[in-house]
Amino acid sequence: MAENAILYDASKCSACKGCQVQCKQWNMMPSSLGKDENEFTGSYQSMPDLNGDTRLLIEFREEAKANGIEWAFSRRACFHCAEPTCMEVCPAGAISKLDDGTVKLDNTKCVGCKYCTAACPFEVPKYREAFNVSNKCTLCDDRVAQGREPACVQTCPAAALTFGPREDMLAAAKTRLDELKAEGFDKAELYGETEMGGMHSLFIAPFGLEAHGLVRDPKKPDAIALFALIKPLTGIAAAAVFGGLGLSFLTGIGYSRDEITLDSASAHDDAKEEN
Amino acid sequence: MAGLGPSFGRGAMTNHFSDFKNADVIWAMGSNNAENHPVSMAWVQEARAKGGKYIVCDPRFTRSAALADIYAPLRSGTDIAFFGGLMKYIIDNELWQKEYVENYTNATFLVNPDFAFDDATGLFSGWDEDTNSYGTSDTWKYQIDSEEPWDISETGPFAWTQAPGVPAFAPKVNAIAKKDPTMQDPDCVWQLMKKHYERYTPEMVSKVTGCPEDKLLEVYEVFASTGAPERSGTILYAMGQTQHTYGSQNVRAMAMIQLLLGNVGVAGGGINALRGEANVQGSTDMGVLFHIIPGYMPTPVATKHANLTAWIEAETPAASYWTNRPKFMVSYLKELYGDFATLENDYAFDMLPKLDGTNHSHIAVFEAINNDIIKGVMCWGQNPAVGGPNSVFEREMLGKLDWLVAVDLWETETASFWKAPGVDPSAIQTEVFMLPAACHYEKQGTVSNSGRWIQWRYKAVEPPGEALDDLEMIHELYHKLKEMYEADGGANPEQITKLNWPYETDGKADITKVAHALNGYTIATGELLPNFPALKADGTTACGCWIYSGYYNNNDAKDDPSQQPTGSRGKDDPGGLGLYPKWAFSWPVNRRIVYNRASADVNGKPWNPERMLVEWDGTQWQRNDVPDFGFQVVAPDGTITPTPPGKTAFIMNPEGTGRFFAIGTGMKDGPFPEHYEPFETPARNLFNGRQNNPALTFGSAESVKPSDPEKYPIVCTTYRVTEHWQTGGLTRNIPWLAEAMPAMFVEMSEELATEKGIANKDRVKVFNERGSIEMYAIVTPRFKPFDIDGQTVHQVGMPWHWGYGSGHATGAIANDITPNVGDANTSIPEYKAFLVNVEKV
Repeated sequence: MAENAILYDASKCSACKGCQVQCKQWNMMPSSLGKDENEFTGSYQSMPDLNGDTRLLIEFREEAKANGIEWAFSRRACFHCAEPTCMEVCPAGAISKLDDGTVKLDNTKCVGCKYCTAACPFEVPKYREAFNVSNKCTLCDDRVAQGREPACVQTCPAAALTFGPREDMLAAAKTRLDELKAEGFDKAELYGETEMGGMHSLFIAPFGLEAHGLVRDPKKPDAIALFALIKPLTGIAAAAVFGGLGLSFLTGIGYSRDEITLDSASAHDDAKEEN
Repeated sequence: MAGLGPSFGRGAMTNHFSDFKNADVIWAMGSNNAENHPVSMAWVQEARAKGGKYIVCDPRFTRSAALADIYAPLRSGTDIAFFGGLMKYIIDNELWQKEYVENYTNATFLVNPDFAFDDATGLFSGWDEDTNSYGTSDTWKYQIDSEEPWDISETGPFAWTQAPGVPAFAPKVNAIAKKDPTMQDPDCVWQLMKKHYERYTPEMVSKVTGCPEDKLLEVYEVFASTGAPERSGTILYAMGQTQHTYGSQNVRAMAMIQLLLGNVGVAGGGINALRGEANVQGSTDMGVLFHIIPGYMPTPVATKHANLTAWIEAETPAASYWTNRPKFMVSYLKELYGDFATLENDYAFDMLPKLDGTNHSHIAVFEAINNDIIKGVMCWGQNPAVGGPNSVFEREMLGKLDWLVAVDLWETETASFWKAPGVDPSAIQTEVFMLPAACHYEKQGTVSNSGRWIQWRYKAVEPPGEALDDLEMIHELYHKLKEMYEADGGANPEQITKLNWPYETDGKADITKVAHALNGYTIATGELLPNFPALKADGTTACGCWIYSGYYNNNDAKDDPSQQPTGSRGKDDPGGLGLYPKWAFSWPVNRRIVYNRASADVNGKPWNPERMLVEWDGTQWQRNDVPDFGFQVVAPDGTITPTPPGKTAFIMNPEGTGRFFAIGTGMKDGPFPEHYEPFETPARNLFNGRQNNPALTFGSAESVKPSDPEKYPIVCTTYRVTEHWQTGGLTRNIPWLAEAMPAMFVEMSEELATEKGIANKDRVKVFNERGSIEMYAIVTPRFKPFDIDGQTVHQVGMPWHWGYGSGHATGAIANDITPNVGDANTSIPEYKAFLVNVEKV
């Protein structure tokens, strides 16, 4: 099967957030049902970052430059790396790569250990507390399997999002990059062609990677090699046994979110067995 | 819209969204289309991909500006200065399209020599300080060359006026204006216009608008390039143009620019009013405004129209397609009153409500409540407690009512005005009824979009609980009122009891029956009419809204909207211009681009063959669109005779041309747009001696509480964001959208924030004499202070989607501090430019 990719062209994006809302709708991700419970970010951005109930977020960055304002819009979601570190560290085998390059997180297998978040150079997978699972973009594999576009792509009114064979998307991106350079976008760059082995979500950044908040030369965390060793032993029990090891790895790369303890990992283990 | 009618003859968007792709230059001025019409960006991007340029002018750097090729800032309320400068630039540099201007506009027409404009006083000739108006604007008229009475002979074009059943009225005499084809006569429109805009130099425009001169000239140069015959440019506008005390004149100025450049009637051109609501075009088509009845006919005025004859004689022009107005009016009355409407009783003209000669616009309604004239209000899908200007005052007025009916999807702030923060419910005597309404997926009917496409939509689900379709509510209300009038009598009961009301099937309201009425039919047979040329003034046809005629005309499937033009969903696009003639029905007569005669030269050759709408091939008209001119004559025996090219490109105007000079009382504040400052402004009017538009409305109302620039030196504007819609009644109740933009904010420059000691995300208050509201601050480089004639002027801006009522996101109401003063022509409130001060809380 040919590899697929989403192409996001920030130079055409008006940041209307149609994709962000449609992603929530199609994937049945809730927003607060209370009154005034959403945080104000101090900009047009809906929330500070992706969260357990949000797989796609339109980000806003702005800077005054000599020739005018650079208001850089970004689509923040899983890049579907060719070499996904999240998959490598997942102790439950919940993350897999589909034939078309989609990196899929199966929440029925996920144990909520958050290793994937730690291992992801972009910290994309987020913990979904209500279900004790990690959550991230699946490239709408359910829709794609039916011959449809991902929900975000279908909803984009201005063709800033397109989807198709990765080769075609790459070719289109390069043509567009040339156009942008000719229009005077000197700093325009394409992101995702080679990063992390080549991504399945490509990003045209008219103001350059940094202006759009993109990580230049993303690297797998060093300790990944270690986890590769664990891999053959994965499974729930292994997660418990090697939990300590996991923790030291997480600490080593600066992971400082909710602490994962052996107890919590075991608790999952128990819950799983009861089922 | 009130600026388009006096310019072109129709007050509607000239082209369509899908036509933007044909433009060489797209100019968003007073429209933040990427934000408020995100779908429009599909065609903007298509145009850009072909080398088109996208210009955005706005006081702030918007989401549209972020995607623009050129962004130019201007202080809120200075559009006419900006446009006036462009007109001067086009004229001085001879960039206007000569053949177009000479033949399709009134540039060559001679005006009454007494017409004048005095820049010392800022007034046009004819101003009356006592009545505060230009009255009948007698000097704003053409010089008359000759007079042509209507030919009412049996073979003449006005034979129909003599037919049995047609109300008697005096045939009109068409006054033909004097012209100077050389355009040298000092009284000709061209010379007057040239003279009027002489003062609008780039230096002056820059001083007034705050737009740097180089940016100004960059915009001028790029847009004026569309004056080349083969190039087209379109202007997108929205409430950023209209919501000013001279909003209609803003639109007029755009119309004049587009006529200068030959951009009206062509693919990729026009003036495109991006309407603020999915069906606002449909609403105005149906006559929801106080001064018009359906199909843009003037509402009768008691003092002016004693009977139908008087109405016809006063409101029927001597030339243009509007000479058919008696047919539209009689057919309208026949629909309203059916058999009760006869020639003998003036087709029940007396039953029509009449205006009393005073203003009944939105602002006026609340003034009338204040003056104890209005005692009860039905708010149907409207939320003035959040959306009205000076909404503190409007909520106070709701509390003066005896009763209020609020029809909406949720309990809006209007329905719950009595429990607003700081209000003591026990002190309010108003009886409030809340009627839950079906939403758009829960009812069927048509929606008319900005581009005049009347599209049928179907019901997807049943409305929840007790919620009803609006038509069902009206239907029930009608029957109840009829019952009461029949039982109890009352003042003029026949107005209700004699109404023709066949809009039901098996006792239930039926919207397809309403569709029959709007399309029109032959009364004797009930046969739907093919289109409005079939309407008659003799009482044999009925039609509820003449411009809709043809949208629902398939007699073979009267009950099936999907078999009607309005339900048609063909995707063919012959010509590839995005006209899609078989997708729904576009009024009038399914014309996609109005005034399309102007897309070709006097010989009928398209200015740009790639964008052919109509073309005279020597023997007949080739066409991609329905011609907006007399292109053929069909004899009674069916023989078709093509009509060779004429010069009448604007068939709704008696003189047949587009107008640089708005004649007569078309505009209440001047035949040429002139710069005035907003009602509240920190700047002095540098262009003339009159600070504000002399004809603005409600400026002296006590409720307005003008804000002194000494105390409130900051210019403020209001707007909408993509994530929310209008007063937020709908979108704040949808958790995903509430989350997408959760809180009310005010945006300001880094410079102002520093001056005021405000940091991003601080809580601040924005206030003036009308009120004080609290919200978050967004401190951003996207706002910049303006240099206005050497003085620093700050501008801030707020969205107006929040309120205290239902929903997942509440916040301050921006309109609590907007002024309830109105435009001279429409009385639309000046939401877009007023004064405030800002403080950290």
